[in-house]
Amino acid sequence: MSALLTVSDVDHTYPDGTAALDGVSLRVAPGEFVSVVGPSGCGKSTLLRLAAGLLTPSAGTVGRGAGSLGCVFQDPTLLPWRTVRRNVELAAELHRLPRAERRSRAEGALDRVGLAGFAGARPGTLSGGMRMRVSLARALALRPDLFLFDEPFGALDEITRSRLGADLEGLFQADGFGALFITHSVVEAVTLSDRVLVMSARPGRLLAEVEIPLDRPRARFGPEFGELAEKVSTALRGEA
Amino acid sequence: MRIVRRVVPPLGVLVLVVAAWFVASNVLLKPDRRFLLPSPDAVVRISYLDRYHLADLLRALALSAQVALAGLAIAFVVGVASAVLMSQARWLERSLYPYAVLLQTVPILALIPLFGYWFGFGYVSRVLVVVLFALFPVIANTLFGLRSVDRGHHDLFTLYGAGRLTRLWKLQLPTAVPSIFTGLRVSAGAAVIGAVVGDFFFKQGQPGIGQLIQNYSQGTTPELLFGSVLLSSLFGLVVFLVFAGVARRVASWHESNES
Repeated sequence: MSALLTVSDVDHTYPDGTAALDGVSLRVAPGEFVSVVGPSGCGKSTLLRLAAGLLTPSAGTVGRGAGSLGCVFQDPTLLPWRTVRRNVELAAELHRLPRAERRSRAEGALDRVGLAGFAGARPGTLSGGMRMRVSLARALALRPDLFLFDEPFGALDEITRSRLGADLEGLFQADGFGALFITHSVVEAVTLSDRVLVMSARPGRLLAEVEIPLDRPRARFGPEFGELAEKVSTALRGEA
Repeated sequence: MRIVRRVVPPLGVLVLVVAAWFVASNVLLKPDRRFLLPSPDAVVRISYLDRYHLADLLRALALSAQVALAGLAIAFVVGVASAVLMSQARWLERSLYPYAVLLQTVPILALIPLFGYWFGFGYVSRVLVVVLFALFPVIANTLFGLRSVDRGHHDLFTLYGAGRLTRLWKLQLPTAVPSIFTGLRVSAGAAVIGAVVGDFFFKQGQPGIGQLIQNYSQGTTPELLFGSVLLSSLFGLVVFLVFAGVARRVASWHESNES
Protein backbone atom coordinates (compact mmCIF):
# COMPACT_ATOMS: atom_id res chain seq x y z
CA MET A 1 0.00 0.00 0.00
CA SER A 2 1.24 3.49 -0.72
CA ALA A 3 2.43 5.63 2.17
CA LEU A 4 0.19 8.25 3.77
CA LEU A 5 3.18 10.47 4.35
CA THR A 6 6.58 10.42 2.74
CA VAL A 7 9.27 12.85 3.86
CA SER A 8 12.41 12.62 1.72
CA ASP A 9 15.73 14.26 2.52
CA VAL A 10 14.13 17.33 3.98
CA ASP A 11 16.21 20.26 5.16
CA HIS A 12 14.63 23.28 6.67
CA THR A 13 16.20 26.60 7.47
CA TYR A 14 14.11 29.51 8.71
CA PRO A 15 14.47 32.93 7.10
CA ASP A 16 16.43 34.14 10.14
CA GLY A 17 19.08 31.51 9.39
CA THR A 18 18.12 28.98 12.08
CA ALA A 19 18.67 25.50 10.70
CA ALA A 20 15.85 23.34 12.06
CA LEU A 21 16.09 20.09 10.11
CA ASP A 22 18.91 18.38 8.32
CA GLY A 23 18.30 15.54 5.87
CA VAL A 24 15.21 14.00 7.49
CA SER A 25 13.43 11.11 5.76
CA LEU A 26 10.51 9.10 7.06
CA ARG A 27 7.38 7.26 5.97
CA VAL A 28 4.05 6.62 7.60
CA ALA A 29 2.10 3.70 6.14
CA PRO A 30 -1.68 3.29 6.55
CA GLY A 31 -2.51 2.03 10.01
CA GLU A 32 0.98 2.71 11.29
CA PHE A 33 1.77 4.72 14.40
CA VAL A 34 5.13 6.48 14.18
CA SER A 35 6.56 8.66 16.94
CA VAL A 36 9.38 11.14 16.81
CA VAL A 37 11.16 11.82 20.10
CA GLY A 38 13.90 14.34 20.60
CA PRO A 39 15.19 17.04 22.94
CA SER A 40 13.39 20.37 23.21
CA GLY A 41 13.95 22.69 20.29
CA CYS A 42 15.23 19.93 18.00
CA GLY A 43 12.96 20.81 15.12
CA LYS A 44 10.25 18.23 15.88
CA SER A 45 7.52 20.81 15.53
CA THR A 46 9.03 22.06 12.31
CA LEU A 47 8.85 18.51 11.01
CA LEU A 48 5.20 18.34 11.88
CA ARG A 49 4.41 21.71 10.31
CA LEU A 50 6.13 20.53 7.14
CA ALA A 51 4.13 17.31 7.16
CA ALA A 52 0.91 19.31 7.62
CA GLY A 53 1.77 21.53 4.69
CA LEU A 54 1.96 24.65 6.87
CA LEU A 55 5.59 25.09 5.85
CA THR A 56 7.46 24.37 2.63
CA PRO A 57 10.83 22.65 3.09
CA SER A 58 13.99 24.47 2.06
CA ALA A 59 15.15 21.27 0.37
CA GLY A 60 13.71 17.80 -0.16
CA THR A 61 10.09 16.82 -0.61
CA VAL A 62 7.05 16.11 1.50
CA GLY A 63 4.39 13.93 -0.11
CA ARG A 64 1.00 13.09 1.32
CA GLY A 65 -1.23 10.30 0.06
CA ALA A 66 -4.89 10.76 -0.71
CA GLY A 67 -7.30 10.91 2.21
CA SER A 68 -8.04 13.41 4.89
CA LEU A 69 -5.73 14.80 7.52
CA GLY A 70 -6.38 15.50 11.17
CA CYS A 71 -4.08 17.61 13.30
CA VAL A 72 -3.78 17.98 17.06
CA PHE A 73 -1.39 20.58 18.41
CA GLN A 74 0.00 21.10 21.88
CA ASP A 75 -2.32 24.06 22.25
CA PRO A 76 -5.90 22.88 21.76
CA THR A 77 -6.56 25.99 19.60
CA LEU A 78 -10.27 26.04 20.39
CA LEU A 79 -12.31 29.07 19.45
CA PRO A 80 -13.46 30.55 22.78
CA TRP A 81 -16.66 32.05 21.39
CA ARG A 82 -17.94 28.70 20.13
CA THR A 83 -19.47 25.93 22.18
CA VAL A 84 -17.70 22.60 22.39
CA ARG A 85 -19.98 21.10 19.74
CA ARG A 86 -19.44 24.00 17.35
CA ASN A 87 -15.70 23.75 17.90
CA VAL A 88 -15.77 20.08 17.00
CA GLU A 89 -17.81 20.91 13.93
CA LEU A 90 -15.26 23.46 12.77
CA ALA A 91 -12.95 21.20 10.78
CA ALA A 92 -15.90 19.54 9.07
CA GLU A 93 -17.46 22.95 8.51
CA LEU A 94 -14.34 24.29 6.80
CA HIS A 95 -14.41 21.21 4.61
CA ARG A 96 -17.95 22.20 3.65
CA LEU A 97 -19.70 19.10 4.87
CA PRO A 98 -23.48 19.50 5.09
CA ARG A 99 -24.84 20.70 8.41
CA ALA A 100 -26.64 17.50 9.42
CA GLU A 101 -23.59 15.43 8.57
CA ARG A 102 -21.19 17.54 10.58
CA ARG A 103 -23.61 17.68 13.49
CA SER A 104 -23.83 13.90 13.66
CA ARG A 105 -20.09 13.50 13.20
CA ALA A 106 -19.41 16.03 15.94
CA GLU A 107 -21.72 14.22 18.32
CA GLY A 108 -20.14 10.89 17.46
CA ALA A 109 -16.63 12.27 17.97
CA LEU A 110 -17.54 13.90 21.30
CA ASP A 111 -19.04 10.63 22.44
CA ARG A 112 -15.83 8.80 21.57
CA VAL A 113 -13.63 11.15 23.60
CA GLY A 114 -16.02 10.94 26.54
CA LEU A 115 -17.39 14.48 26.34
CA ALA A 116 -20.92 13.78 25.11
CA GLY A 117 -22.33 15.69 28.08
CA PHE A 118 -20.32 18.82 27.38
CA ALA A 119 -21.49 19.67 23.86
CA GLY A 120 -23.07 22.91 25.01
CA ALA A 121 -20.20 24.08 27.24
CA ARG A 122 -17.74 26.82 26.34
CA PRO A 123 -14.04 25.88 26.14
CA GLY A 124 -13.21 28.39 28.88
CA THR A 125 -15.13 26.33 31.42
CA LEU A 126 -13.23 23.10 30.71
CA SER A 127 -10.01 21.73 32.19
CA GLY A 128 -6.85 21.43 30.11
CA GLY A 129 -7.36 17.71 29.58
CA MET A 130 -10.95 18.20 28.46
CA ARG A 131 -9.92 20.92 26.02
CA MET A 132 -7.40 18.55 24.54
CA ARG A 133 -10.15 15.97 24.15
CA VAL A 134 -12.26 18.53 22.31
CA SER A 135 -9.31 19.25 20.04
CA LEU A 136 -8.95 15.51 19.43
CA ALA A 137 -12.66 15.19 18.69
CA ARG A 138 -12.43 18.06 16.19
CA ALA A 139 -9.82 16.12 14.22
CA LEU A 140 -11.68 12.82 14.66
CA ALA A 141 -14.84 14.31 13.15
CA LEU A 142 -13.03 14.43 9.82
CA ARG A 143 -12.41 10.65 10.04
CA PRO A 144 -8.81 11.24 9.00
CA ASP A 145 -6.63 8.63 7.37
CA LEU A 146 -3.58 10.38 8.74
CA PHE A 147 -3.26 12.03 12.14
CA LEU A 148 -0.51 14.48 12.99
CA PHE A 149 0.13 15.10 16.68
CA ASP A 150 2.45 17.81 17.94
CA GLU A 151 3.11 17.05 21.62
CA PRO A 152 -0.61 16.98 22.22
CA PHE A 153 -0.33 16.09 25.89
CA GLY A 154 2.79 18.11 26.62
CA ALA A 155 1.03 20.73 28.70
CA LEU A 156 -0.99 18.31 30.82
CA ASP A 157 -0.35 16.77 34.21
CA GLU A 158 0.95 13.21 34.37
CA ILE A 159 -2.34 11.51 35.28
CA THR A 160 -4.38 13.27 32.61
CA ARG A 161 -1.60 12.62 30.21
CA SER A 162 -1.49 8.86 30.64
CA ARG A 163 -5.28 8.62 30.60
CA LEU A 164 -5.45 10.52 27.32
CA GLY A 165 -2.67 8.35 25.93
CA ALA A 166 -4.66 5.23 26.75
CA ASP A 167 -7.76 6.70 25.12
CA LEU A 168 -5.77 7.59 22.04
CA GLU A 169 -4.47 4.05 21.85
CA GLY A 170 -8.06 2.81 21.96
CA LEU A 171 -9.09 5.14 19.15
CA PHE A 172 -6.10 4.06 17.11
CA GLN A 173 -6.93 0.39 17.55
CA ALA A 174 -10.52 0.98 16.56
CA ASP A 175 -9.89 3.18 13.53
CA GLY A 176 -6.50 2.11 12.30
CA PHE A 177 -5.47 5.54 11.06
CA GLY A 178 -1.86 6.34 10.33
CA ALA A 179 -0.22 8.67 12.82
CA LEU A 180 2.86 10.80 13.17
CA PHE A 181 3.26 11.64 16.83
CA ILE A 182 5.74 14.20 18.07
CA THR A 183 6.67 13.96 21.75
CA HIS A 184 9.51 14.35 24.19
CA SER A 185 8.24 11.55 26.39
CA VAL A 186 9.94 8.21 25.79
CA VAL A 187 7.27 6.30 27.73
CA GLU A 188 4.52 7.87 25.68
CA ALA A 189 6.29 7.09 22.43
CA VAL A 190 6.93 3.45 23.34
CA THR A 191 3.37 2.98 24.61
CA LEU A 192 1.74 4.26 21.47
CA SER A 193 4.01 3.52 18.53
CA ASP A 194 4.86 0.84 16.06
CA ARG A 195 8.12 2.64 15.41
CA VAL A 196 9.96 5.33 17.36
CA LEU A 197 12.30 7.70 15.55
CA VAL A 198 14.92 9.45 17.65
CA MET A 199 15.96 12.91 16.65
CA SER A 200 19.10 14.89 17.48
CA ALA A 201 19.35 18.41 18.86
CA ARG A 202 19.04 21.23 16.36
CA PRO A 203 19.44 21.02 13.46
CA GLY A 204 17.33 17.86 13.79
CA ARG A 205 18.58 14.66 12.21
CA LEU A 206 17.18 11.17 12.67
CA LEU A 207 19.61 9.23 14.85
CA ALA A 208 17.91 5.90 15.34
CA GLU A 209 14.79 3.94 14.68
CA VAL A 210 13.36 1.55 17.26
CA GLU A 211 10.65 -0.97 16.35
CA ILE A 212 8.09 -1.60 19.08
CA PRO A 213 6.67 -5.08 18.43
CA LEU A 214 4.55 -5.25 21.63
CA ASP A 215 0.92 -6.35 21.61
CA ARG A 216 -1.75 -3.77 22.24
CA PRO A 217 -3.06 -2.59 24.57
CA ARG A 218 0.31 -2.28 26.21
CA ALA A 219 1.26 -2.65 29.82
CA ARG A 220 3.67 0.13 30.61
CA PHE A 221 5.80 -1.70 33.10
CA GLY A 222 6.67 -5.10 31.65
CA PRO A 223 10.33 -6.10 31.18
CA GLU A 224 10.06 -5.89 27.40
CA PHE A 225 8.59 -2.43 27.66
CA GLY A 226 11.43 -1.35 29.90
CA GLU A 227 14.01 -2.74 27.53
CA LEU A 228 12.57 -0.87 24.55
CA ALA A 229 12.24 2.35 26.50
CA GLU A 230 15.86 1.98 27.58
CA LYS A 231 16.87 1.49 23.96
CA VAL A 232 15.14 4.73 22.94
CA SER A 233 16.60 6.57 25.93
CA THR A 234 20.08 5.37 25.11
CA ALA A 235 19.73 6.62 21.55
CA LEU A 236 18.59 9.98 22.90
CA ARG A 237 21.43 10.16 25.42
CA GLY A 238 23.98 9.16 22.84
CA GLU A 239 23.10 12.46 21.28
CA ALA A 240 23.21 14.52 24.45
CA MET B 1 -21.89 45.91 48.09
CA ARG B 2 -19.41 46.50 45.29
CA ILE B 3 -21.83 48.88 43.65
CA VAL B 4 -22.13 50.81 46.89
CA ARG B 5 -18.36 51.05 47.21
CA ARG B 6 -18.10 52.29 43.64
CA VAL B 7 -20.92 54.78 43.78
CA VAL B 8 -20.75 56.26 47.26
CA PRO B 9 -17.29 57.96 47.08
CA PRO B 10 -17.93 59.90 43.85
CA LEU B 11 -21.37 60.78 45.15
CA GLY B 12 -19.73 62.18 48.27
CA VAL B 13 -17.46 64.32 46.12
CA LEU B 14 -20.49 65.54 44.20
CA VAL B 15 -22.21 66.60 47.42
CA LEU B 16 -19.06 68.45 48.52
CA VAL B 17 -18.72 70.21 45.17
CA VAL B 18 -22.35 71.30 45.16
CA ALA B 19 -22.02 72.51 48.74
CA ALA B 20 -18.91 74.51 47.88
CA TRP B 21 -20.69 75.87 44.85
CA PHE B 22 -23.64 76.90 47.01
CA VAL B 23 -21.39 78.65 49.50
CA ALA B 24 -19.36 80.37 46.81
CA SER B 25 -22.48 81.64 45.13
CA ASN B 26 -24.52 82.68 48.15
CA VAL B 27 -21.85 83.72 50.65
CA LEU B 28 -18.69 84.68 48.79
CA LEU B 29 -20.19 86.46 45.81
CA LYS B 30 -21.93 89.77 46.29
CA PRO B 31 -25.46 89.78 44.87
CA ASP B 32 -24.47 92.01 41.95
CA ARG B 33 -21.69 89.55 40.98
CA ARG B 34 -23.78 86.44 41.51
CA PHE B 35 -24.43 86.07 37.76
CA LEU B 36 -20.87 84.72 37.47
CA LEU B 37 -21.88 81.64 39.43
CA PRO B 38 -25.59 81.34 40.01
CA SER B 39 -26.66 79.26 42.98
CA PRO B 40 -27.22 75.57 42.22
CA ASP B 41 -30.79 75.66 43.47
CA ALA B 42 -31.53 78.53 41.08
CA VAL B 43 -29.97 76.61 38.21
CA VAL B 44 -32.13 73.60 38.92
CA ARG B 45 -35.26 75.71 39.45
CA ILE B 46 -34.91 77.79 36.31
CA SER B 47 -33.43 75.19 33.93
CA TYR B 48 -35.01 71.92 34.95
CA LEU B 49 -38.17 72.75 36.93
CA ASP B 50 -39.43 75.30 34.46
CA ARG B 51 -41.53 73.41 31.94
CA TYR B 52 -40.66 75.59 28.95
CA HIS B 53 -36.95 75.77 29.58
CA LEU B 54 -36.78 72.07 30.27
CA ALA B 55 -38.60 71.35 27.01
CA ASP B 56 -36.11 73.52 25.10
CA LEU B 57 -33.18 71.77 26.72
CA LEU B 58 -34.52 68.28 26.18
CA ARG B 59 -35.43 68.97 22.56
CA ALA B 60 -31.91 70.25 21.91
CA LEU B 61 -30.40 67.32 23.78
CA ALA B 62 -32.47 64.85 21.80
CA LEU B 63 -31.29 66.40 18.56
CA SER B 64 -27.65 66.33 19.67
CA ALA B 65 -28.03 62.73 20.78
CA GLN B 66 -29.45 61.90 17.38
CA VAL B 67 -26.56 63.65 15.63
CA ALA B 68 -24.03 61.89 17.84
CA LEU B 69 -25.59 58.48 17.29
CA ALA B 70 -25.94 58.94 13.54
CA GLY B 71 -22.31 60.03 13.29
CA LEU B 72 -21.19 57.21 15.55
CA ALA B 73 -23.09 54.66 13.47
CA ILE B 74 -21.51 55.94 10.26
CA ALA B 75 -18.06 56.00 11.88
CA PHE B 76 -18.60 52.46 13.10
CA VAL B 77 -19.59 51.08 9.70
CA VAL B 78 -16.96 53.01 7.76
CA GLY B 79 -14.30 52.32 10.41
CA VAL B 80 -14.87 48.57 10.63
CA ALA B 81 -15.12 48.30 6.84
CA SER B 82 -11.88 50.16 6.23
CA ALA B 83 -10.08 48.18 8.93
CA VAL B 84 -11.29 44.95 7.32
CA LEU B 85 -10.06 46.20 3.97
CA MET B 86 -6.67 47.10 5.42
CA SER B 87 -6.40 43.73 7.15
CA GLN B 88 -6.72 41.96 3.83
CA ALA B 89 -3.52 43.20 2.26
CA ARG B 90 -0.38 44.78 3.65
CA TRP B 91 -0.13 47.18 0.74
CA LEU B 92 -3.66 48.45 1.42
CA GLU B 93 -2.80 49.02 5.05
CA ARG B 94 0.42 50.77 4.12
CA SER B 95 -1.44 53.00 1.66
CA LEU B 96 -4.47 53.84 3.80
CA TYR B 97 -3.39 53.80 7.43
CA PRO B 98 -1.35 57.00 7.26
CA TYR B 99 -4.55 58.81 6.29
CA ALA B 100 -6.38 57.28 9.22
CA VAL B 101 -3.62 58.63 11.45
CA LEU B 102 -3.93 61.96 9.72
CA LEU B 103 -7.57 62.06 10.85
CA GLN B 104 -6.28 61.98 14.37
CA THR B 105 -3.49 64.51 13.97
CA VAL B 106 -4.99 67.12 11.71
CA PRO B 107 -6.64 69.87 13.76
CA ILE B 108 -10.24 68.87 13.15
CA LEU B 109 -11.49 72.29 14.10
CA ALA B 110 -9.55 73.68 11.15
CA LEU B 111 -11.41 71.41 8.75
CA ILE B 112 -14.84 72.26 10.07
CA PRO B 113 -15.37 75.47 8.08
CA LEU B 114 -14.70 73.45 4.92
CA PHE B 115 -17.58 71.16 5.81
CA GLY B 116 -19.94 74.09 6.04
CA TYR B 117 -18.65 75.34 2.73
CA TRP B 118 -19.32 71.98 1.06
CA PHE B 119 -22.32 70.52 2.87
CA GLY B 120 -24.13 73.53 4.28
CA PHE B 121 -24.40 74.77 7.82
CA GLY B 122 -26.97 72.32 9.13
CA TYR B 123 -27.61 68.73 10.10
CA VAL B 124 -25.40 67.01 7.51
CA SER B 125 -22.31 68.93 8.50
CA ARG B 126 -22.96 68.34 12.20
CA VAL B 127 -23.12 64.60 11.59
CA LEU B 128 -19.93 64.73 9.52
CA VAL B 129 -18.07 66.46 12.33
CA VAL B 130 -19.09 63.62 14.63
CA VAL B 131 -17.84 61.08 12.06
CA LEU B 132 -14.52 62.88 11.87
CA PHE B 133 -14.16 62.78 15.66
CA ALA B 134 -15.25 59.16 16.03
CA LEU B 135 -13.69 57.40 13.06
CA PHE B 136 -10.10 56.83 14.08
CA PRO B 137 -10.59 54.87 17.31
CA VAL B 138 -12.84 52.43 15.48
CA ILE B 139 -10.33 51.90 12.67
CA ALA B 140 -7.31 51.56 14.94
CA ASN B 141 -8.93 49.19 17.44
CA THR B 142 -10.64 47.03 14.83
CA LEU B 143 -7.42 46.66 12.88
CA PHE B 144 -5.57 45.75 16.05
CA GLY B 145 -8.20 43.14 16.85
CA LEU B 146 -8.17 41.61 13.39
CA ARG B 147 -4.40 41.35 13.57
CA SER B 148 -4.25 39.80 17.02
CA VAL B 149 -5.46 36.36 15.94
CA ASP B 150 -3.42 33.59 17.52
CA ARG B 151 -0.99 31.85 15.17
CA GLY B 152 -2.32 28.44 16.14
CA HIS B 153 -5.80 29.50 15.08
CA HIS B 154 -4.48 30.74 11.76
CA ASP B 155 -2.70 27.41 11.27
CA LEU B 156 -5.90 25.58 12.02
CA PHE B 157 -7.80 27.48 9.36
CA THR B 158 -4.98 27.05 6.84
CA LEU B 159 -4.86 23.37 7.57
CA TYR B 160 -8.53 22.84 6.87
CA GLY B 161 -8.42 24.87 3.70
CA ALA B 162 -10.33 27.98 4.78
CA GLY B 163 -10.51 30.78 2.22
CA ARG B 164 -9.90 34.43 2.91
CA LEU B 165 -13.54 35.29 3.55
CA THR B 166 -14.15 32.29 5.79
CA ARG B 167 -11.08 33.20 7.78
CA LEU B 168 -12.27 36.78 8.11
CA TRP B 169 -15.81 35.88 9.07
CA LYS B 170 -15.25 32.88 11.30
CA LEU B 171 -11.90 33.74 12.85
CA GLN B 172 -10.68 37.32 12.56
CA LEU B 173 -13.92 39.20 13.20
CA PRO B 174 -14.95 37.11 16.22
CA THR B 175 -11.43 37.51 17.64
CA ALA B 176 -11.66 41.27 17.12
CA VAL B 177 -15.02 41.73 18.85
CA PRO B 178 -13.66 42.96 22.22
CA SER B 179 -11.27 45.37 20.48
CA ILE B 180 -14.05 46.67 18.27
CA PHE B 181 -16.11 47.44 21.36
CA THR B 182 -13.16 49.16 22.99
CA GLY B 183 -12.91 51.34 19.90
CA LEU B 184 -16.61 52.01 20.02
CA ARG B 185 -16.38 53.12 23.65
CA VAL B 186 -13.65 55.63 22.86
CA SER B 187 -15.53 56.78 19.78
CA ALA B 188 -18.77 57.26 21.70
CA GLY B 189 -17.08 59.78 23.96
CA ALA B 190 -15.59 61.52 20.95
CA ALA B 191 -18.98 61.54 19.22
CA VAL B 192 -20.57 63.51 22.06
CA ILE B 193 -17.80 66.09 21.88
CA GLY B 194 -18.19 66.18 18.11
CA ALA B 195 -21.91 66.80 18.37
CA VAL B 196 -21.44 69.77 20.70
CA VAL B 197 -18.58 71.18 18.62
CA GLY B 198 -20.63 70.77 15.42
CA ASP B 199 -23.38 72.84 17.04
CA PHE B 200 -21.00 75.72 17.59
CA PHE B 201 -20.30 75.95 13.88
CA PHE B 202 -23.46 74.83 12.13
CA LYS B 203 -26.45 76.71 13.35
CA GLN B 204 -29.03 76.22 10.66
CA GLY B 205 -32.12 74.23 11.53
CA GLN B 206 -33.13 72.96 14.95
CA PRO B 207 -30.63 73.92 17.66
CA GLY B 208 -28.67 71.20 19.45
CA ILE B 209 -27.42 71.42 23.02
CA GLY B 210 -24.15 73.05 21.94
CA GLN B 211 -26.03 75.80 20.24
CA LEU B 212 -28.21 76.39 23.27
CA ILE B 213 -25.08 76.73 25.36
CA GLN B 214 -23.84 79.42 23.00
CA ASN B 215 -27.19 81.19 22.92
CA TYR B 216 -27.51 81.16 26.70
CA SER B 217 -23.96 82.42 27.10
CA GLN B 218 -25.09 85.61 25.39
CA GLY B 219 -28.44 85.79 27.16
CA THR B 220 -29.49 87.38 30.40
CA THR B 221 -30.22 84.17 32.33
CA PRO B 222 -26.90 82.65 33.45
CA GLU B 223 -28.82 79.87 35.24
CA LEU B 224 -29.75 78.50 31.81
CA LEU B 225 -26.14 78.56 30.66
CA PHE B 226 -25.12 76.51 33.68
CA GLY B 227 -28.14 74.23 33.27
CA SER B 228 -27.32 73.50 29.64
CA VAL B 229 -23.62 72.92 30.32
CA LEU B 230 -24.49 70.52 33.14
CA LEU B 231 -26.97 68.69 30.97
CA SER B 232 -24.47 68.23 28.14
CA SER B 233 -21.90 66.92 30.65
CA LEU B 234 -24.44 64.51 32.01
CA PHE B 235 -25.17 63.40 28.48
CA GLY B 236 -21.51 62.68 27.83
CA LEU B 237 -21.25 60.81 31.11
CA VAL B 238 -24.28 58.63 30.38
CA VAL B 239 -23.02 57.77 26.90
CA PHE B 240 -19.61 56.89 28.33
CA LEU B 241 -21.09 54.71 31.06
CA VAL B 242 -23.36 52.87 28.66
CA PHE B 243 -20.65 52.08 26.13
CA ALA B 244 -18.03 51.32 28.77
CA GLY B 245 -20.48 48.90 30.37
CA VAL B 246 -21.16 47.20 27.07
CA ALA B 247 -17.45 46.98 26.21
CA ARG B 248 -16.65 45.57 29.63
CA ARG B 249 -19.33 42.93 29.37
CA VAL B 250 -18.16 41.88 25.93
CA ALA B 251 -14.54 41.75 27.07
CA SER B 252 -15.28 39.73 30.19
CA TRP B 253 -17.43 37.35 28.17
CA HIS B 254 -14.51 36.82 25.83
CA GLU B 255 -11.99 36.49 28.63
CA SER B 256 -13.99 34.02 30.63
CA ASN B 257 -14.01 31.88 27.53
CA GLU B 258 -10.30 32.19 26.88
CA SER B 259 -8.84 28.78 26.10
